[in-house]
Amino acid sequence: MRKIDDIFPNLGFAPTLIIVIVLGIALQLTGFWMTMLLAGGFGGLFTRRHRHSFLTGFLGVGIAWTGIFAYLTVTAQAMAVAEFFIGLLGLSGMGWLVIVISLLLGSLLGGFGGLFGRSLVEIIDEFSSEAEQTHTPVQPTEEIVMEEKQ
Amino acid sequence: MSKRKVINLVLSLIGPIALIVILTMPIGPLAGGLQIVAPTGGIFDVGVGVHQPETQTIKLPGLDANVVVVQDQWGIPHVYGDTIEDAFMAMGYIHARDRLFQMYMQNYLAAGRISEIVGGYAASSDRLYRTLGFERSAEKTLAWFEANTDNPDVAYTLDAIDAEVAGVNTFIDTMTSVTTPIEFKILGFDPPHWRRLDIFIFAQLQSWGLAGGFDDLRNQWMRSTMDNDTMFDEVFPWTMPYSIPIVLEQYNLSITEYPNANGGYPADPNPSALNSGVMAEEAYIPQEKLEVLIKALDEVINPIGDMDFVGSNNWVVGGDRSATGEPILCNDPHLGFQTPALWYESHIVVPGELDVTGVGFAGMPGIILGHNEHTAWGWTNVGADVLDIFVEQLNPNNSSEYMYNGAYRAFEVHDESILTKEGNIIPFEVLESVHGPLIDSITNTYNVDSEDSPNLAMRWTGNDIIHNIMAVGMINKMSDLESYFDAAYWWDVPAQNMVYADDQGNIALTVMGRYPIRAGYDGHFPVQALNDSVGWVSNVPYAYIPRTVNPSQGYIQSTNQLSIDWNTYGFELLGPYADGYRGRRIDALLAADDSVTMDDMKRFQADALEVRAQEIVPYVVDAWNNLGDGNATVDEIIGWLDDWDYVMDPDEKAPTIWMFLRNAIHYETFDEIRSIDSSLMLSRTPVLEKFIKENNVYYFDDHTTAGVVETRDEILVRAMYRALDDLVADPVFGNDPADWDYGNKHRVYYDHLADLTSVGGIPHRGQLTLNVAGGWRVGGGPSWRLVADMSNIQMSYGIYAPGQSGNPFSPHFDDLFWIQYSYDEVTEQHGYHAIYFYSTVAAFQAADTEGTMIEAVITFIP
Repeated sequence: MRKIDDIFPNLGFAPTLIIVIVLGIALQLTGFWMTMLLAGGFGGLFTRRHRHSFLTGFLGVGIAWTGIFAYLTVTAQAMAVAEFFIGLLGLSGMGWLVIVISLLLGSLLGGFGGLFGRSLVEIIDEFSSEAEQTHTPVQPTEEIVMEEKQ
Repeated sequence: MSKRKVINLVLSLIGPIALIVILTMPIGPLAGGLQIVAPTGGIFDVGVGVHQPETQTIKLPGLDANVVVVQDQWGIPHVYGDTIEDAFMAMGYIHARDRLFQMYMQNYLAAGRISEIVGGYAASSDRLYRTLGFERSAEKTLAWFEANTDNPDVAYTLDAIDAEVAGVNTFIDTMTSVTTPIEFKILGFDPPHWRRLDIFIFAQLQSWGLAGGFDDLRNQWMRSTMDNDTMFDEVFPWTMPYSIPIVLEQYNLSITEYPNANGGYPADPNPSALNSGVMAEEAYIPQEKLEVLIKALDEVINPIGDMDFVGSNNWVVGGDRSATGEPILCNDPHLGFQTPALWYESHIVVPGELDVTGVGFAGMPGIILGHNEHTAWGWTNVGADVLDIFVEQLNPNNSSEYMYNGAYRAFEVHDESILTKEGNIIPFEVLESVHGPLIDSITNTYNVDSEDSPNLAMRWTGNDIIHNIMAVGMINKMSDLESYFDAAYWWDVPAQNMVYADDQGNIALTVMGRYPIRAGYDGHFPVQALNDSVGWVSNVPYAYIPRTVNPSQGYIQSTNQLSIDWNTYGFELLGPYADGYRGRRIDALLAADDSVTMDDMKRFQADALEVRAQEIVPYVVDAWNNLGDGNATVDEIIGWLDDWDYVMDPDEKAPTIWMFLRNAIHYETFDEIRSIDSSLMLSRTPVLEKFIKENNVYYFDDHTTAGVVETRDEILVRAMYRALDDLVADPVFGNDPADWDYGNKHRVYYDHLADLTSVGGIPHRGQLTLNVAGGWRVGGGPSWRLVADMSNIQMSYGIYAPGQSGNPFSPHFDDLFWIQYSYDEVTEQHGYHAIYFYSTVAAFQAADTEGTMIEAVITFIP
C-alpha cells in the first residue's frame, strides 16, 4: 500500500499556497464555509512540515477570501453589508472590522485544516506502514536495498 | 504507532472543532452565529441578490398560463395575468421576494409568536397579542369564509388568498442564500410556509392598529386622578370645539336594501328603544392597577405607529370645482414610518376582470388604497371607540367564575403557552368571559388589586368575525356608486372614512365601519355588566351610517375629525376624534378655490401652515405688546412671530419658538391640572384655543398664587418667558439664535422594523399641519399620497416612502424616500411619481420610448 506522501509530492511552499488559494476560491463559491478546512487540508498533502501546512492553509484561504471580498466590494456592496452588520453591535463606521474578522476566521479554518490534514496524513501513512510491516513477509535487507536502487 | 503522531492528530483537531463551535453558536442577536460573515453563503450574498436581470423567466407551478410582470423604474410590479388566480400567485411571489422578512415579523408579532424569532425577552409583547387574541379571532373569521363559499365574493376572496399563499410559498421553497433576507440570516430564522390564516392574522393586526386601544382605562385614570368631574368635562370634552364635521349632508341608503349593519351584523334603526335608560353603576378599578396596566400596554409595540400620529387626510372635489371639470381625489393616510414601509405598491391587470393600482400589504392580495379604470378611493381613520372594558364580578369562592345573568359561569380558558427561540416554553393562559378576553392577564396586578385573579374583559369589534378582506376585493372592482355602496357594506373593522370619486362625476364619502349600539352605559369608561341589559345590544344600520354623496358644497374632506354633527344625527359614534385643525385648513383651502388643479392638490398635500399657531400666536403678540417689559430677546422673538406666515418651515426660527410656546401656554394655563398630578395631560389645543378666545378667567388665574388673580395676557407673557427658557435649555438649540432654525431638530426618520438601520434624518416641514410631521423626531405622517385625476386616470400621481424593496442594499430600498421628501420651493410641492397605468404589456412597452420606465420584465411560466 502506497503512502499518501508517496502519492502527493512535496511541492514546496509557494506551489502549495497557489493550490490552496485556487481550492479556497472554488470551494467557498459553493457557499459552505466548512469546506475551507478541506482547502487548507490540501496544504497538508503537499507539504511535509506542520508549520508549512498551517501556513499554506492559513495564507491560502486568507488570500482566497480576500480576493472574493475584493470582488464583492466592487460588485455587491460588501462594505455596505459589513457596515450594516456591525451597526447591530453598536460599532457603526467599523464595517471593515467584519471583513477583517471574517478573513481571520477563514484563515484559521484553512490553517487548522492544513494542520489537521498533515497530522492525518502522517498517522495514516504510519498506520499503513505498520500494517504493511505486519502483513508483508520480511525481505532480506539486501533485497530491500536492491529495490531502492532500482 | 507513534504516540507523538497520535497526540499531533488530537491536538490538530482542537482548532477546527473550536472554530466550528465559535462559528455556529448564537452570539447575542446573531442567532445564526458568526458563520454568516463568510464571503459567500452568508450576509454578503444579499448584496449579490440586488442585481436583477432585465428579463427573467421563473417557474411558478400551479399557473394556468404565463404571467408577465413588468417592473417599473421604481421597482413597482405591474402584473399581467389571464386569471385572478394567476395574477395573485405571481403577486405573492413578488411580495415574498421583496418583503419576506417584514411579512413574517409582522405576523409573528400579531400572533404573539415574536419570541420564536427574537427570543424570550419579547414575551411581554407575545402575552399582550395572545391576550388580544388575534390568532383566535382570525381562525373564527377564516372559518366563516370557508363556510360561506357559496357567496361569490367570499369565493373570490379565498381564491385570491390561496393564489397569493401559493406564490409566497413557491418563493420560500426556491429561496437561495442570495435571495434570503439578511434579517433571517442574522436571526437564524427559517420561515415556514405562509398560510391562509396568516392573511387573516395580518388583517387583525391592522384593525388593532387603527381601531384598538384602551382609552376607557385612560379616561378613568384621568377622571379619577383629577377627582373633579366638572373640570374633567370642561378640559377634556368628547368633541373638540371649532371642528368642522366630515359629513355635512347625510345621505341614507334604503334600509330595505341594507337592513343590517356593516359586515352583515344585526342592526336596529331605533337605538332608543333598546335602552331602558337605567345606567349601570360605574365600575371601580383601583388607581394603582390602572397605572400598572396602562404602563404595560404602552410598552408594547404598536405595529403601525404611535397612536398620537395615526391619522390621515383625504378630500375630493367634484367637477364643478375642478379645473378639469371632473373630480380630483386626494388621500394621504398618516401612519408610523417604518423600513420596509407598511405599504407595497403594485398594479394588477386581469383583462375583463381587474385593472387596479395603488398600495396594499405584502403577503395579502388586493389593493387597499388607489384607483382602477373607473374609480379612485382613499381612507382616513375614523377613530371611533369600538372597544369597551367590562369589569367582571368574580365568584368570591372561585375566581375562575364570574357573575352574569344571575348565575356564576366559568371563564373560557385558552392555553397560550409561548415558545421561545431558546426552546423554552413559557406557560400562559388567557381567560375569556362573555364580553371578551381578560386584558389584565398580561401583567400581574394582583398585589395592587383586591381581586386575586384577572377580571377586566375587553369587548372589541375586531374580536368578532371581520370581513374587511372581502371588502377589499369588492373595492378593487368598483365601477360606480352602486358597487361602492355594496363594497363599503362589507367593511366592518377598522372604521374608515372612505372617500370616493368616479369617472361619471360622482363624489362621496362613507364613514364605513361597524358601530355598536350601547345600552346601560355610555362607553367612555369601564363598566360592570352583570347581565345582558348592559352592553352592546345592536349596531348602527349600514343604511344610516354617516355618508355623503355629491354634497352641494362640491367637495368633501376628512381628517379624522368629528364624523357628523351629533345634534342632527340619530346615533352616537364615540370618538376620540382628531383636534380638527387639519380639517379646518383643508376646508378653508377648498372653499377658497372653485377651480382646483392637480398642482393645487399637490400643493395642498404639502401644506405646512399651522392653524394652531395662526389662531393663538396673535394673542401672544398682543399680550406682549400690552404687558411686555421690553426684554430685547423677547422683543426680537415677538418680531419673528409677528412676521411669521405660520408655515412650519425648517429654515425658520418662528416654528421653533412656536413649539416651545405651545407647551408653555398649556403649562402656564392649566396649573389646576398639573398641580394634581404632573403626569396628567394638560388638555387638547382646541380647548386651549377656546379658553384664549373666550378669555376664560377661571383657568387663566394661577391658583397656586393665593390672593392674586392673573389675567390671560399675564399668563401668555409668562408662557413666552417659559418658552424662551426651555428653548435655551434645549441642547440642540442653546443660547445662540443662529442655531434656532426649526430644521435643526425637526427631522424625519424611517427606522427599520427590527431597528437594524434607518432612512432619512433630514430636516422636514410641518407639524400638526396638512403635511403632518408631529413632534421633533418625525416617525409618522403621510405613508402614501395619491392625487387621482378622474378626467384622465393615467395622469394620476402617487408616492410612498422609503421604497419597494425590503433589501437594505437594493436601490429600491429608499429611492422613493428621496422623491417624496424633495420639496420644490417654487411649486410648493413634495415629490411624486407618475402612476403608470397601462392595461397591456405592449402598451407599457410602447410608452417606454426612452427606455427609462421599465426596469425589468419577469415571465412566470407554469
